Amino acid sequence: MSELTRAQIRDLMGEVMKAQGKELPSDDSADLREIGFRSLDFSELALRVEDEIGDELNFDAPGLRQIAKVGDVLDFIEQLQSA
Amino acid sequence: MSGRRRSTALIGDDNTVVVGGKTLTWRTLHKLPQLPSPAAVLVDNGADALAAVRHHAVHGTELLVATSSRVDLAMREELGESGFAVVLANGDEHSVTPAKLKRVEESGRVWLLTSGSTGRPKRIGHTLESLTTVRGKQQPRTWLVPYSPGTYAWWQVITISLTQADQGLVVIEPSELETWPAIAAEHGVTAASGTPTFWRQTIFRDSEALAKVPLEQITLGGEPVDQAILDQLAELFPQARISWIYASSEVGASIVVHDGKAGFPKAWLDRDPDPASERPVLSVDGDELVIASPHHGAGLEGAHRTGDRVEFVGDRVLITGRLDTDEINVGGSKVSAGLVRNVLMAHPAVAWARVFARKAPLVGRMVAAEVVLNPDLGPVTDADLVQWCTNRLPDYGVPRRIRFLAEIPQKETLKSDV
Repeated sequence: MSELTRAQIRDLMGEVMKAQGKELPSDDSADLREIGFRSLDFSELALRVEDEIGDELNFDAPGLRQIAKVGDVLDFIEQLQSA
Repeated sequence: MSGRRRSTALIGDDNTVVVGGKTLTWRTLHKLPQLPSPAAVLVDNGADALAAVRHHAVHGTELLVATSSRVDLAMREELGESGFAVVLANGDEHSVTPAKLKRVEESGRVWLLTSGSTGRPKRIGHTLESLTTVRGKQQPRTWLVPYSPGTYAWWQVITISLTQADQGLVVIEPSELETWPAIAAEHGVTAASGTPTFWRQTIFRDSEALAKVPLEQITLGGEPVDQAILDQLAELFPQARISWIYASSEVGASIVVHDGKAGFPKAWLDRDPDPASERPVLSVDGDELVIASPHHGAGLEGAHRTGDRVEFVGDRVLITGRLDTDEINVGGSKVSAGLVRNVLMAHPAVAWARVFARKAPLVGRMVAAEVVLNPDLGPVTDADLVQWCTNRLPDYGVPRRIRFLAEIPQKETLKSDV
């Protein structure tokens, strides 16, 4: 299966938030701590992406980075898909 | 060898045995030709398995009985090299591959193969006597035999019928597993033993048909037993005694619980040995259940580490699953797959669930699940189940990915690898 677009990843992120009774703001600069997006949620998002693309994401490839905002998550997952 | 020994096991020789649609007795079952000893008798149906057992009970020959599908070619070779003639039984016809190693038989020895859930099946030595763990006089009953021939659970039911009067059998072949309630109702089955998966599948397929079986005794074993399945059976059969048994080829039947609750009382741990009773000594080391049982297999005396994980909940000890697969480490927080499964199974619309670890970034492992829904109880989404679990489990224990299956998976051993 092909890579997901940034919009599709955003939709999946919204589903993760919705399952936790929360809403994903439309602003990519929203702070993850403030919106309650935690490491478990990030892990779930990664699994959802893996299920969609039918492949495992390679987390070893990209270097360390700070993931503090919604946009960082989307950037990171986009980068992982092409890693 | 013939006529050398007639075992007292044959008290039940006139008990009714329904097999392959025929109503017989142990005495009138077809006779297998004289078996070599030791012999590994591989069968494809229940009638041949019972005939092999009766042959053993009459002649005392060394016997391993198993379904042919459980014993692959490599294992047949191993058996031959261990002194077993391999007999493929098929009614009155059979083929014999002579043993590659000549050795003296162990008269009266019965061999079981472990289920192989922890690796390649192992041979465990027993005798008819060590396999006969129900010794008190039983009220007249007709027992269902859904288990695969040669397993410990199968022997438990078989020895009751061999050693006690008025204990009939109704044998269910694999092809009859989906329709067994109709067969059981027709033949008046009053007692049935099966894995939780077996009972769940039956309720899932046709609980109306199940309710028509006049069950007085319901037994569960072979897998962790959760409260939800005990409650469902109690609702269907309010008058029946519902028991669960912890048993294995290695330690025999060691824990028997009749109070309708999952787990066993904490007070049963570390009791003093009582040689007069046949009570096993139960203990817990770390998270592991340890048992010293009088019903153990040959050479397995003393305390045996079961490899099963326990968890204390209130005044009960719950057996949650295998140690090597039950504990899921989610970012340093540990959760029992068995307990998560119990929570899922307690949802009214869930007919079956399997909980497992899935590799995930940041936290290492996440809890995931496969679920079969009861179609009669309305649409349920993964979000509904996540919410149900969120209200009952710590956040790291909530299954984040739930996949729905159409049917409950089941193996020949009636287990489903949960």
